[in-house]
Amino acid sequence: MDIQDFLALGAESNTEGQVDLRALDHVSSYDSHLMCPICHCPFIKPVRLQCDHVFCEKCLRSAITTFHSADSDHFPCPSCRTPTRHVSMSVPRLLTNMCDEIQVRCPLAENGCQELVPRGHIQSHVEKYCGYQLVPCPDESCDKKTRKKDLQAEKRCRHSYCRCSRCEEDVMEQDYEEHDLELCPNLRATCVDCGTMVVQRTLKNHIEACPEVVSPCAGSKYGCQARIRRAEISTHEQQCPLVAIGPYFEAQNTRINSLELNMQHLQQRNEVFEDGLANIRSTLVESSRISSRHGSGPTADTDESADRASNASSSNATTYLLSLHESLREEVNQITYALTDLDARASMSIMNECLRIKEDMAHTNAAVNTVRMQVQWLMNPRLHNDTRTASLRANGANSGAEARQLMAASAPGPSNAAGASLGPLRPRRPSDGGREGTKL
Amino acid sequence: MAMAFAGKRLSKMNEHLPPGITLVKSDTLEEWQMDIKVLDDNPLYKDQTYRLKFTFSDKYPIEPPEVQFIELPTTSDTPRPIPIHPHIYSNGIICLDLLGRSGWSPVQTVESVCMSLQSMLTANTKDERPPGNNDFVAYNRRRIRDINFVYEDDNV
Repeated sequence: MDIQDFLALGAESNTEGQVDLRALDHVSSYDSHLMCPICHCPFIKPVRLQCDHVFCEKCLRSAITTFHSADSDHFPCPSCRTPTRHVSMSVPRLLTNMCDEIQVRCPLAENGCQELVPRGHIQSHVEKYCGYQLVPCPDESCDKKTRKKDLQAEKRCRHSYCRCSRCEEDVMEQDYEEHDLELCPNLRATCVDCGTMVVQRTLKNHIEACPEVVSPCAGSKYGCQARIRRAEISTHEQQCPLVAIGPYFEAQNTRINSLELNMQHLQQRNEVFEDGLANIRSTLVESSRISSRHGSGPTADTDESADRASNASSSNATTYLLSLHESLREEVNQITYALTDLDARASMSIMNECLRIKEDMAHTNAAVNTVRMQVQWLMNPRLHNDTRTASLRANGANSGAEARQLMAASAPGPSNAAGASLGPLRPRRPSDGGREGTKL
Repeated sequence: MAMAFAGKRLSKMNEHLPPGITLVKSDTLEEWQMDIKVLDDNPLYKDQTYRLKFTFSDKYPIEPPEVQFIELPTTSDTPRPIPIHPHIYSNGIICLDLLGRSGWSPVQTVESVCMSLQSMLTANTKDERPPGNNDFVAYNRRRIRDINFVYEDDNV
């Protein structure tokens, strides 16, 4: 059915005289899946939404009225917010059965009903079977109510007062039985031990003081087996050796207790010390392992300190630690020496390398110079030739000798003679001239 | 209706609370106090405990409870600051759609609200108060249910 119908249905339903199932005291534990997520009670008249979420009919109705806006025909499911149009009134019978079989306490428990009933039956229990349901008095002139179980076959009013013969108190007839058996202050009871009659209320006090009650000897906790009447117990206790020795036992017990405490304390301390010792030992082993890797000197030293440490476990740890410190210091010193040595060596080798490289560089320089000179020497005749051909072309009549003189003057140096002598060996085509010129 | 089963909820809740959430005070059925802790090591909230006050109306759980952080001074035995968060005003009022009428659902419980707040704090990285915090704290005299929050931030 859609929402409007569902809401309208709720307006009609009448809950007068119904047991409020939500207020019940659920005795047995129930599965949380049987619990309505809104009211956290086992489902009461469950209904189902399209998204298969189940709620109590009443809870869902109040949720819809709060969250459903009047103009829309759907509302969000309280659990998953799926927009929902239809509410299905049919849920699996399994679900309702499981909810109905949960044990609950009768809601009339405050009237005295102790009954536990499956929830499905609680309505009929309250209506028909519960004897603690209050019903109007059968006598119409009486305006009091009476419990159903007090109604007797003759159906007469039991609200009249009658007088208790013992305490002279007026008691309502329906309460008389209870008064007679339990509540009357003048009710007598017999002490089972001494046989005297006492008022029932003081029976408890009487039993504690009754001289006839059999009670154990004070030395019972130390092994006295005697169980004697209270009247005679003091004479027994005067003679009982266990009672006499009792205080001594007490003192011993306290001593043992305090010693045990002490021992625990000492054990704890011992554990702490042992831990410390173990720590020191492990550091020692480590340090000796490290120092054995370096040279021979420190090894001997730490061996010595190890020896010392092993018997120092009984003496004091400070000396041991000091010696350890000392050996470490020596190690550090040695490492420093080694470092300086290495430093010197390194600088020596660097110097050597430098010298060698310098020499090499000098050699290379010389070689480069020679090469440069050779190149110059090679270039000279070419230049010489170039100028000569150019001037020949330009001046025409100018004699080659003049040009040669010019060249000789512009290119002095030792290569000059060679250039002059080589020049004619290399005849040049006129076309070469321009190319050579651009190259230079 | 609320009162009938609020007590029932309470007894059920004490059985198993999620980690980091403890019930501090529940002597009345109208007001409860809870302590929550942020469980991961978000530096903003590390090693801090915050006190939440739940106020239930007659219509709970159909209507949302009022939830806010409350502050206990640092001098007390149990100092409880107000966590810093861009949606928590310094007077403890929380801007969370879950707690408003639009976002509330009757299936929510005290635990689920606490867990939502835990995760809201966990996810936060900004060390700041909401914009307009000072004005709001100074001038707001309305009850929490009457404040019209605008839930603009979907990231938190």
